[in-house]
Amino acid sequence: MAEPADKKRGTNPEKPKPAGYFEGESMTRRTVFGLGVQAAGVLAVTPIALASVGFAIAPIFDTPEEMWEGVGSADDYPSDSYRQAVITIVNGVGDSGKTTVYLRRGSETLDEDPNEFIAISTRCAHLGCPVRFVKAAGNFICPCHGGVYDFEGKVIGGPPVRPLDRFQTRVVGNQLEVGPRYSVTNDLEPVRARDPGEFTGGIWEYLYPPRPTTAAPPS
Amino acid sequence: MALKLPVPAALRKPSKPGERSNGAGTNGAGTGDGNGKAGSPVVDTVKEGAIDVVGWLDERTGASPFLTGLLLRKVPKGTNWFYTLGSATMFAFAMQALTGVFLAMYYVPSATDAYDSINYLTNDVFLGEFVRGLHKWGATVMVILIFLHMGRTFFFGAYKYPRELNWVIGVVLLILTLVMGLTGYLLPFDQRSYWATIVAMNITGSGPVMGPYLADFLRAGSEFTATTLPRFYAVHMLLVPGLIIALIGAHLYLVVKLGTTAPPWLRADPKPKPLREEVVGPASGNGISGNGRSGNGRSGNGATRADEHDRESS
Amino acid sequence: MNTAEKEAYLREYEVLKKKGKPFFPYAVFKDATMMAITAGVIVLMALLLGAEQGPKADPTTTTYVPRPEWYFFFLFELLRVIKPPELVPIATVGIPTMCMVLLLLLPFYDRNPERAPWRRPVATVAGIMTIVAMAFLTFLGASAGSPTEIELEVAPQFEQGKQVAAQSGCLACHKFGENGNDGPGPELTEIGSKLPANAIERTLVNPSGIMPEYGNLPPEKFESLVAFLASLQ
Repeated sequence: MAEPADKKRGTNPEKPKPAGYFEGESMTRRTVFGLGVQAAGVLAVTPIALASVGFAIAPIFDTPEEMWEGVGSADDYPSDSYRQAVITIVNGVGDSGKTTVYLRRGSETLDEDPNEFIAISTRCAHLGCPVRFVKAAGNFICPCHGGVYDFEGKVIGGPPVRPLDRFQTRVVGNQLEVGPRYSVTNDLEPVRARDPGEFTGGIWEYLYPPRPTTAAPPS
Repeated sequence: MALKLPVPAALRKPSKPGERSNGAGTNGAGTGDGNGKAGSPVVDTVKEGAIDVVGWLDERTGASPFLTGLLLRKVPKGTNWFYTLGSATMFAFAMQALTGVFLAMYYVPSATDAYDSINYLTNDVFLGEFVRGLHKWGATVMVILIFLHMGRTFFFGAYKYPRELNWVIGVVLLILTLVMGLTGYLLPFDQRSYWATIVAMNITGSGPVMGPYLADFLRAGSEFTATTLPRFYAVHMLLVPGLIIALIGAHLYLVVKLGTTAPPWLRADPKPKPLREEVVGPASGNGISGNGRSGNGRSGNGATRADEHDRESS
Repeated sequence: MNTAEKEAYLREYEVLKKKGKPFFPYAVFKDATMMAITAGVIVLMALLLGAEQGPKADPTTTTYVPRPEWYFFFLFELLRVIKPPELVPIATVGIPTMCMVLLLLLPFYDRNPERAPWRRPVATVAGIMTIVAMAFLTFLGASAGSPTEIELEVAPQFEQGKQVAAQSGCLACHKFGENGNDGPGPELTEIGSKLPANAIERTLVNPSGIMPEYGNLPPEKFESLVAFLASLQ
């Protein structure tokens, strides 16, 4: 920004140098105004732009509160097949905030605790289409791109990248309650909820990082 | 070559004696004036009035030379019907914008009310289903036209020097058009809209590192929330159309400035005719050497063309 | 393109331009006509095809078969055919991003000064192949059916068996005519001519690999299923 003295226009070489002047110093009127334009411009735009952008980005950091919903008596759910229930996962949007959950009791043949319940999400782990449980085959089938999951929700065919998500469950009195969503690794280890299409486990925990908008997984 | 606007009477060159002002030039004969109508003074006054208004505007806007340059510029020889695809795409966009404005007067961008507002619009509003149909099928037509336009540009090699920037702007417009389609078909909020959008957002989320946050940004959360639909609506109504209009402006500016290409099978000069001997008679030509020297490369069109090129490249 | 080629093009362009006609009214007439045709087509489609609204968005459904708009069918089909989970990010972000980048940078890696299609064979062939591929994928995407519906025509006595097959998840791994998936199981459109009925029965009761067992179906359904499969010649 300091121009050589001989290139400056409008400065009078005869004028006495100001106090404290050193050779090569230059801050012409033009330079000051140029800087002033930039400073004023930044000052004018920044609060509005930052506020707007912050406003748009804020939902990424917003942690919703945990919701638990009762789905009926715990005795109604067998361990050899799934029963459907509808829960609300987003408040305030009516029907579009609900989702279907497939519930069953823990099965001893699969080394699960019969006092614990398993709630499987219908959201396909490939790209989020609604899967359906086919009783005759004991499989979950996705209508979009050919994904197939076995009875536990593990992938046995098609493009899904991890087993089906689950919901936390607890029994209060005799009522079975369904809580926040979590995802699982290929070995059915719980991790924080991920979007469909994201791998879980190992290095993928860092390549697809956990987000503040999801709840902590059960231990 | 300026556009010849009609000039107000006061500024017109006075006609010669015996000559009519419109140049008909009869010797004082003839009863009516140029347009042969009986009530001519009134019509003449109206015409003068209109001409004055146009002149007033032109003086203040400088529109005349601009319009001359824009409308009367030459398009290259051989411009055919393939070249209409671009303006047809722009027309389809204009139709989408227009029908979109009217649809926006009825649409409610809320997850609980969107479906009902569209239902009301389709069934209970005069011509509601028709306007919605125009918007819906207009989107299909626009996508088809933009791909055809891109194909035409590709096969004609019209993206090469000096039109590379125009091609880049065009590809960005293509992507923005597909984004418009994506954000638009969520808005009716029926089953197809909802699930197609869920899949599209999860596709965004499957990119590593930034993917999950990008998907959260689009969805305003980790699930489809109350603000997801308004977000898509703002993008579809305000952000992307603004970008498209700005980029169409840039695209058209470049088209006018650089010109449209000629079809690639045309060549500027036909194959040069083979040189032939021409016997020039003894009595012809002042200054032309009269002994039949015609094979020195300055015969026929060759000279003219070389001169033309020299003139242009200077 | 080097400077000489650029200059040669500009010179030639000037000549062709001089020989052309004014934009208004010659080219504008063609443009306006095309706009009128476009408007006509849109109006016709709106009148003939209408704009019906489907059922309201319902995230709790387990029966709906999601599909995108027709101009995304080629991407949809790409996602269907890339089955190994490790390759999924390639189909979702890899290929579309790469295609966009290739399209955007086209004038920078296509250095051939030729414009006529027959003088630039590489570009022309690549363009035609891309168009054919996209059209083919779009067509395949459009004909992809639901995972619980078999559209093959069968004699009335095998209808029940066909329904059992459709509802039991067979389409998730097998193809029946146009419906179903191309894997992991073999195509069953003509299974009746490849295996005798008792072999089919044995496979259903005692399958290999990841295929689930169907021996526990109610006997009537099981028999109709076997009869249906055996009839697929």
